[in-house]
Amino acid sequence: MMELPPTRAGHIGRGLSATAILLFLAMPIVIILVTSFGADGIGTFPPQEYSTRWYEQMAAPGGNWATSIALSSLIASLTTVFSLILGVTAAMALARGRLPLHAAVYGLVLAPMLIPQVVIALGLFLFFEPAGMLGSPLAIALGHTVLAAPIAVLIMISTLKGIDERLEDAAASMGASRMTIARRITFPLATPGLIAAAVFSFITSFDEFFIAQFLSTPDTRTLPVLVFNALQFDVDPTVTAVSAVLIALAILALALVALVRKLGGHRNGQSALPIEPLT
Amino acid sequence: MAGTAVAPTKVRVKTSEKRGHRSRTALVNAVPVTVFLLILFVYPIIGVLSLSLKGDSGGFTLHWYADALSGVNLSVLMSTLRISAETAVLSLLVGFVLAHAIARMRPVFAALAMLIVVVPHFISALVRTYGWIIMLGEHGLINTLLTSVHAPGAPYSLLYNETGVVIGTTSVMLPYTVLVLQGVMRGVDGRLLAAAAGFGASRLTIFTRIYLPLVAPGIGTAGLLSFILCLGYYITPALMGGDKQTVVAALIDQQVMKQDQWNSAAAFGVILLLLTFAGLGVLGLAKLRRKKTAARRSSS
Repeated sequence: MMELPPTRAGHIGRGLSATAILLFLAMPIVIILVTSFGADGIGTFPPQEYSTRWYEQMAAPGGNWATSIALSSLIASLTTVFSLILGVTAAMALARGRLPLHAAVYGLVLAPMLIPQVVIALGLFLFFEPAGMLGSPLAIALGHTVLAAPIAVLIMISTLKGIDERLEDAAASMGASRMTIARRITFPLATPGLIAAAVFSFITSFDEFFIAQFLSTPDTRTLPVLVFNALQFDVDPTVTAVSAVLIALAILALALVALVRKLGGHRNGQSALPIEPLT
Repeated sequence: MAGTAVAPTKVRVKTSEKRGHRSRTALVNAVPVTVFLLILFVYPIIGVLSLSLKGDSGGFTLHWYADALSGVNLSVLMSTLRISAETAVLSLLVGFVLAHAIARMRPVFAALAMLIVVVPHFISALVRTYGWIIMLGEHGLINTLLTSVHAPGAPYSLLYNETGVVIGTTSVMLPYTVLVLQGVMRGVDGRLLAAAAGFGASRLTIFTRIYLPLVAPGIGTAGLLSFILCLGYYITPALMGGDKQTVVAALIDQQVMKQDQWNSAAAFGVILLLLTFAGLGVLGLAKLRRKKTAARRSSS
């Protein structure tokens, strides 16, 4: 890295500016978490009084929130299944095989990460509307898979590339069948990657707003769509509790991924977080 | 592949039979994702394209584009471009300062800082935007703080205007810029800087003549990336931008959901798509040029 001796002023300046920027990133999240326990309904920070009433309201059975949480969970689970199937097979082709048209397939897989989501959402709307599938959880899940599958593919490619193929060759040389190799060697080694791919597919779908907004009907609104409406049109204080739960869910998911990767013995943490498609 | 050990000899048997088998399996494995994306990604986008060129009576027309590029619609497009550019510049500046600081931190702090950068990225943008709304309001944390230190003119209006939107979008794009810049900064050879210092170059000279040119490709990539991603972005502008329609994506949403103007929405979609392609094209060209230069250098 930089080998110039640091000056004292430079050191302090860098430290202060970095702290300020990190606060800039973290504050909105901290504020939501604290505000969600406030007793008054207008989202003041810091709250005058603390209570858990918004959480109780959110969990009230049969309410809007509970219904859309269930819907979003269903859609996210379907998305996870679809994108794991696509992710594993595509990664086998792209990382392991000698695929003709490799660049074309790879480009096609990455494209949904870069194309404006509103365009994808509009296209899917035009696709599903004539079929009378607006509001169908399956349609929304298929739409979410367009966004989630590329992430799953990228994670699985880096997972497969991280597995030493000589282990599989060694097993083959000792007479293990293709199935045995897959079951006893490749699959166990790929498990952390599979879990990471599943987790990221799930949150991608659970947090997705645009496609859900275009494909939903007033009866089927996913959690983000409901949160968006609550923020844009009426101030329902329950939304703070919902937001806090979404934050907790994301942090838990990331912790899970970090844990399985640690247990799986992976040291390079970068490939675990598929954040930027271009380098 | 940092994890794998050095492979001195390839033990694998590379018979032509095995190779043939591998390419056949690869083809079979590539089918699901290809078919899926052709049906649910490529075909729908072609649908958007053809809708944008279809007149009311079904014939070919450029009417919707003319409509999208005039009057109020044009001003929405221009403000989208302006907000995206402002966001790109701001997140680049802030990202540069942070990435540079992280590059010089002790490993423990650097890891902690990267965690604070990356974790928010995985938290719903909707939720983070809501956090900003609570923070930036007239009686929000920022204005309360500024009023209590008697900042001139406080409280400021930081919400439901372009300032609010750009603050929000910058916080969404920042993880991308920091990660890209971090990548290039890590690759800078410190000995070059030390050598320049040894020849008596001032810190400013070293920074502008050596460090900046070395990290320039990352600056370009990070800036364009956040610009492109911002073009079609919607949540933050819609929630923090107030009643005025400020961005194209919001306009598309409104045209489809409230006005049934699909053709016009499609034309806007294609314009966004073209702008994105233009941005990606610039990125690709720059990468190609760097590769060529590198190849020329290594061959001479």
